[in-house]
Amino acid sequence: MSAILAEGLVKHYTPEIKAVDGIDLDIPDGQIFGFLGPNGSGKTTTVRMLTTLLRPTGGRAEVAGFDVVRQAGDVRRRIGVALQEAGLDDLQTGRELLHLQGHLYRLESAHARTRAAHLLEVVDILDAADRPIKTYSGGMKRRLDLAASLLHEPKIVFLDEPTTGLDPISRESIWRYVRQLNQEEGVTFFLTTQYLEEADRLADDVAIMNLGRIVAQGSPAALKADIGADVITVRIESGEERMRARDVARAIEGVEDVRTVDDTVVVYVRDGRRAMARIILVLEEASVHVDEVSLAHPTLDDVFLRKTGQHIEERSD
Amino acid sequence: MRIAIDTYHLMMRGLREAFRQPAIELTNIFIPVFFFAVTVGAIGSVAGRAFGVTNFLGFQMPVAILQAVAGVAGSAGLATVTDIERGYFDKLLLTPTPRLSLVLGRLASDSTRAMFLTLIIMIGGLAAGSGMASGPLGMIVILIMAGTFGLSYSGFGLAIALRTGSAQAAQASFLVFFPLLFLSPAFAPKEIFANWLEFLATINPVTYVLQGMRHLILEGWSLGSLAAAFGSILGLGAVTLTMAFSALRYRTA
Repeated sequence: MSAILAEGLVKHYTPEIKAVDGIDLDIPDGQIFGFLGPNGSGKTTTVRMLTTLLRPTGGRAEVAGFDVVRQAGDVRRRIGVALQEAGLDDLQTGRELLHLQGHLYRLESAHARTRAAHLLEVVDILDAADRPIKTYSGGMKRRLDLAASLLHEPKIVFLDEPTTGLDPISRESIWRYVRQLNQEEGVTFFLTTQYLEEADRLADDVAIMNLGRIVAQGSPAALKADIGADVITVRIESGEERMRARDVARAIEGVEDVRTVDDTVVVYVRDGRRAMARIILVLEEASVHVDEVSLAHPTLDDVFLRKTGQHIEERSD
Repeated sequence: MRIAIDTYHLMMRGLREAFRQPAIELTNIFIPVFFFAVTVGAIGSVAGRAFGVTNFLGFQMPVAILQAVAGVAGSAGLATVTDIERGYFDKLLLTPTPRLSLVLGRLASDSTRAMFLTLIIMIGGLAAGSGMASGPLGMIVILIMAGTFGLSYSGFGLAIALRTGSAQAAQASFLVFFPLLFLSPAFAPKEIFANWLEFLATINPVTYVLQGMRHLILEGWSLGSLAAAFGSILGLGAVTLTMAFSALRYRTA
């Protein structure tokens, strides 16, 4: 059964502003699904539609088998959501917030208390549980928000950029907990992120969004394998020489694609280690001054670059 | 049943919030008490000769009560804007709690705060010699009147907050109260008003709430006056709650 299904999902704020422009998703139960894309690509709008916070202007979506518009209440009972900004009430204590959350999800009082204590311990804020949330650090707020989204033991959890702005230790602890819940309890995660490493390390499958559309979808390994080549990045200061380098590189045997991005020429080539020396030689013969050259295996950013001509990180700035 | 339980939990959250920000409640009580004292001190002694009001302290007490209630209503809008800005309102929207409870929980906490401030003003007024012609039961009715008026008027601030998500706009709901207060017989009986002002006072719902409270303090029980007061509150509430729900629908559209 699909945990999350979307067919031609659309959100237009105005006829000109197409935040989400017809996306299809079919995410099976028990998967960690990474939803990747730069800022403004439509990730958060998609999450808000799937979690019933926003009405789609077109298409349809089901979460846990329920329609997000017609059966919004059924959807809400079955999902947990931690949005981009930790949605907390600074004047309550962490424990009070979780207890209120438990009441609103109709948990028995005793069960809500036990569950809150357990989650406070898991996310490592038990010591601060009775302090007002306004005294918490950013990382503690994020972890408390995550605990609040898991209190009612949902089988589908939406995490919208859960680690943005967190230090590496907090980030790692959230990743560990997501993996644990997924493996031990079969929880499905829909995880939006602009961090390639996060998607690469956590997600079984990813969809890459750009300008409201999905430009690539599949497992991270398959998407990278689709590129079918290593990536040689050559930095060339002179714009004129960069254009010349692009033209001559295209003619080299084994080169599959060449792109210019900012002050670099990105060459996708089979067997990059062997090709690297040849490329440098050909560029020298063409009187191109190479400032820097590097070889890497393809990343999800390269997948995005191949599809859109831009890096995700650049668009995210 | 579910609506009542969730409303109760959300009301308690609102009250905890108020308890932890005593400065807001002190401001809400200080301003009306200050104006109450100054107005009575300035014109209390001539009120009898000027427009035949012998107990000006009792005459003015409902004005202080309604000012305090309006202050609470204004801060309700601000609290909702804060929830929206912090993302907590989304968190509440994501729970299966009925939408009605999200609105009623906030209004119920404001209503309770309004009753608490009303009680303080009444105790202060009684200590200063305002008297209470309708006795202790009249005090309870005034508390209920203040609470329900607070609930109705908060709906206005809540609607603005939900519609705009702007703190400045939410504060405007408190400012709107002042024209309504001055277009009512707050400082003198309606009978001595110019015709145009008397007409505006007649169509102003605040007039009937004010007169309802005033009657209980100065004269005693009057079914007609109580019916007019609660009828006005009901009418106002119907309008403001419709506005609040419409704004909530707009926010999730």
